[in-house]
Amino acid sequence: MKKRWIGYAAWVLLAACLYFFENNTGTRTVLIGSLLFPLIPFLRTAFFAGDDPVREETARPQTVRAFVNQETDDPGDVRLYRPGDPIRRIHWKLSAKKNEWLVRETATEEEPVETEQTAVSDGSGRKRILRKRLLWISAGWMAMCVLLLWLVPEARRGIQALCNRVYSASEAVNAYAYDYFPVPEGQSVTVAVLLMAAALFALAAQMLLLRSRAMALGITAAITFFQVYFGLPLPAWANILVYGSFALWMIRRPVDRITALFCIAAILLTALLVTLLFPGVDAGTEAASENVRDRLSRMAQQLTGAIEELPEGETETRHVHTQSLQPGQSEAQADREYRLVTVEEEQISMPRFFNWIKTILLFLLVIFLVLVPFAPFLLLNARKKKAQEERQAFASENVSEAVCAIFRQVITWLKETGHDGGNLLYQDWTDALPGSMPDGYAARFSACARDYEEAAYSSHDLPEEKRRLALSLLKETETALLKTADWKQRLRIRYWMCLCE
Amino acid sequence: MLFSLLGEVTGLMQSQLESVIRETEKVIIGKRTVIEKILMTLLAEGHVLLNDVPGVGKTTLAVALSRAVGLAFQRVQFTPDVLPSDLVGFSMYDKNSGEFVYRPGAISHANLLLGDEINRATSKTQSALLEAMEERQVTVDGKTYPTERPFIVIATENSVGTAGTQFLPYAQLDRFLVRLSLGYPDYEAQMTMLRDRQAENPLDSVACVMEKDELIALQREVRAVTVKDAVLDYITRLTMASRAHEAVEVGISPRGALFLNRMAKAGAYLDGRDYVTGGDVQAVFKDVCAHRVLLKENAREASVEQVLEELLKKVENPDRKGLFPGIKK
Repeated sequence: MKKRWIGYAAWVLLAACLYFFENNTGTRTVLIGSLLFPLIPFLRTAFFAGDDPVREETARPQTVRAFVNQETDDPGDVRLYRPGDPIRRIHWKLSAKKNEWLVRETATEEEPVETEQTAVSDGSGRKRILRKRLLWISAGWMAMCVLLLWLVPEARRGIQALCNRVYSASEAVNAYAYDYFPVPEGQSVTVAVLLMAAALFALAAQMLLLRSRAMALGITAAITFFQVYFGLPLPAWANILVYGSFALWMIRRPVDRITALFCIAAILLTALLVTLLFPGVDAGTEAASENVRDRLSRMAQQLTGAIEELPEGETETRHVHTQSLQPGQSEAQADREYRLVTVEEEQISMPRFFNWIKTILLFLLVIFLVLVPFAPFLLLNARKKKAQEERQAFASENVSEAVCAIFRQVITWLKETGHDGGNLLYQDWTDALPGSMPDGYAARFSACARDYEEAAYSSHDLPEEKRRLALSLLKETETALLKTADWKQRLRIRYWMCLCE
Repeated sequence: MLFSLLGEVTGLMQSQLESVIRETEKVIIGKRTVIEKILMTLLAEGHVLLNDVPGVGKTTLAVALSRAVGLAFQRVQFTPDVLPSDLVGFSMYDKNSGEFVYRPGAISHANLLLGDEINRATSKTQSALLEAMEERQVTVDGKTYPTERPFIVIATENSVGTAGTQFLPYAQLDRFLVRLSLGYPDYEAQMTMLRDRQAENPLDSVACVMEKDELIALQREVRAVTVKDAVLDYITRLTMASRAHEAVEVGISPRGALFLNRMAKAGAYLDGRDYVTGGDVQAVFKDVCAHRVLLKENAREASVEQVLEELLKKVENPDRKGLFPGIKK
């Protein structure tokens, strides 16, 4: 449970970091995808609370070793005793009946038959061991590949060459300047690619064997980071595919039909939102999403009523943006302009987007402010009512009830003045009593505590005299405490007394 | 009128129980609390497991008690070759009459059965005994024979010299109402004991001060002791807290809760009250529950007593919780 929350918190943190990266790359695909991704299992647990498959998996029911041992009482299986037959094969009952020694023929000679259950449990045990071994092997493989990539000069240069290719691709799209690795021209990347493929294969094996959610999270994070850092976003549909499949991976097993349907619906919804709201650099859907975004912000404005004066140039910049994609211009130049435009857009449209949250917070604040002044009155009334009810019980016809109430009042005084006996029975509170009490108070207190126990736990009523005793103890406690207590405690007692009147 | 009558009756019973304790104390000196607890178990219709070193007077105690209360006493010394049929009896084929004849075992005629060193018996024998304890009947060849009434088992378990013993399984430990230990006598008690045994065996001087039927009547009265919901709530919370405690593998069973209730009732009755308080529950909690709690492997350094102590401190007592008449929650 705890772990899951830590996971979510980490994911939210990551998403926040991604937002800053995205300011530099101009794509929202990743952000929204990463936000919705952990929501899927979360919603799933919210809607279908219950079984935890991880626990289910570890708490595999222990199969019972059951033997089938059939008792054959069929007289056909017995024969006459011959010297040399083992005694345990004598059929005692039949022997007694027939008055001659009879021996079982075959029935008990059979080996105990193992039921299917045992076979199954053994099989799964073997499978588990195999899985464990495979895990270690694949982990070792992966470590070896990574080590080789680092140590073998040929492989290292290959990796660097690959990185250079990514940089140049990124540059072609985003016009960034990277520090290229100093690698000779025409460096072969075959070794590096082979080693990387081997490492990825081991990773995939690990994932399949481990079914670890942490690993799924890590890999999606890596993919996300790659996209954002290099500004080489996959197309929206590919992202949906990637995140959707990892979300499916994260979903708890075993999956029932409703869950599966729910997940598919959630993924489709994510896809729809991502495509409509945040299409990234995909120019084809830009117009449609712009429409939706405009409508949403207008709605927000209508709801809050606070229509902000938008800069006049805002709509124009978008025109500029569409114009800049016209053919004839060089691609790099178009991209550079696009980036500038998107940065401006972010700055303009962000506050509008957060108006929703602002409205909700304001609403909550108003409710809070309205309620605060009334809170003391509400509290005071409840206390007063309770105190008065207890006082009324002092004069109750039922003496048990009265003794209970009176003694509890004594206990309340003691508690209020800091002489709390804690989780001790009231009988044993005598040690916690203040030392400044009059002589013999402890004895009277414990006598009254006994009466209280009788009143509280027995089914018969107490004699009237007990009420008088309890009331005198209460009076004594009040006067003694008022005499010795400091001003704060005295104030508190007075306050309680006020409440009771 | 009613109060005084009730008080008188209770007082009468009280003096009788007191005299039983006095008679038993003639033989076991300075162990009043243990004797009281065993008497409470007798009243609560439970069974006792005595866990002790050899030679502190477990057998003597059982014999003295059985004489004082006038119970039929049987003793079984458990060894690995004691069979279930020795306890519950068996059917033997009588060749002359051609019929099976039931030969009763040790359980059949006993009110008080002392099972010495029960952990030396095989598990088969243990379970035969424990079935008789639970059901208060023995079944041999499909025929059921009820045990004598009252029927109480005092089983002993040596805590030293455990070579070749079988520990009582948890499920069977659970059937004993209390696990007690006598412990060594102090200086004074041992001196008195040595002085007393110069001339004669003090066991002979134990007089029968209570009849079997009276004990049954007492048991009926103990059953009628009032237990308010506040106390039941306390018992429930205590047992549930024991199950939730992080150092505990197996907590107190529902049967443990039932036994706790019964023992608390007996304690209250012995104290001369007809109602159970939180104090009664606390007084018997450790004796009733110590053998029902299994600690986790990694929590061996904490003892069961410590855990139970902690529970008593932690779980809000019924006085403090305050579910009482006239108090609206």
